[in-house]
Amino acid sequence: MTADELDPLIHVPTRLRIVATLAALPNGDTLSFTRLQDMIGLTPGNLIIHLRKLEEADYISSQKTRNGTVSITTFALTGHGRTALDAYTQALRDLLGGL
Amino acid sequence: MNPTPDTTAPAGNDGSFDPRQAAALLDQATQRARRQFEPAQPWLLVIRGVVVLAVLGAVWLNVRGQHPYQYPTAAVIPFVIAFGVLNLIATLTVRRRATAGVSGRSRLRPAEIAVLTVIWVGVYVVMGVMIGAGVSDRIVYGLYPVTAPLILAGLAWAVITATRADWQNCGTGLAVAITGAVALAAGPAGSWLAAGIGLCVTLLGSAAVIVWRQRRSVVGP
Repeated sequence: MTADELDPLIHVPTRLRIVATLAALPNGDTLSFTRLQDMIGLTPGNLIIHLRKLEEADYISSQKTRNGTVSITTFALTGHGRTALDAYTQALRDLLGGL
Repeated sequence: MNPTPDTTAPAGNDGSFDPRQAAALLDQATQRARRQFEPAQPWLLVIRGVVVLAVLGAVWLNVRGQHPYQYPTAAVIPFVIAFGVLNLIATLTVRRRATAGVSGRSRLRPAEIAVLTVIWVGVYVVMGVMIGAGVSDRIVYGLYPVTAPLILAGLAWAVITATRADWQNCGTGLAVAITGAVALAAGPAGSWLAAGIGLCVTLLGSAAVIVWRQRRSVVGP
């Protein structure tokens, strides 16, 4: 196996951090955009770009809720995303074992 | 003006993102997130374990010479109350910070909060009733206030967390309930010390498990 075969959607530093952060949530939990941005340390625009890519691939899901006048968007890793992260992690183990 | 870095591209000067770097980043991000999402911070559990042993140990020193057993004197009661209040404030503050922006199944439901509140308040309401009914001092001021909250709250917490398949917290709840049961067998004076030691061990054990889980590598062995 070579590094080129690693999932290109996850094998980007920022997206790896996003996916790892969402994977650390307890099962069934979601994380608000604001808290995620605070933890990842990106500008909102930059974070949205990465989140869109992950959402288009069905690695994460988003939900918009209204709390009075405030709109809150939350994100969670999907089952497909968790499987992809597990496969990515296993691929890293295989690669590092062979190095 | 500083341009926003293009983080959509792989890292590295040659455009590559080395698997070693990726593994290190994955571990680092996971461990950091686990630490930040943890509602029971290990440092708080360690402090709580030491303080609970000191406070309940002080009560034991205060009552162990009483024959027959009466009650803890006014010299130690303020410490017990202060510990209870500070413990509650610290727990809620740390929990609120950890769960900010997090919603979903791991949050306590209103019904679960109500059950825990009823248990804690109810225990002391029943204590008042027992005082009014003239139940002996060794039970009202000895065995009951130490063991009843631990057994009931521990079992309730174990059931609540078991329904969420949160086995670590379920184990903590059971350990607290067992501590209460052991304290029950230690007599009115000894129950304070038994509860202090049992809670200290439970809290230090929980802190150790949480630290181990937080530091466990995702990629490595």
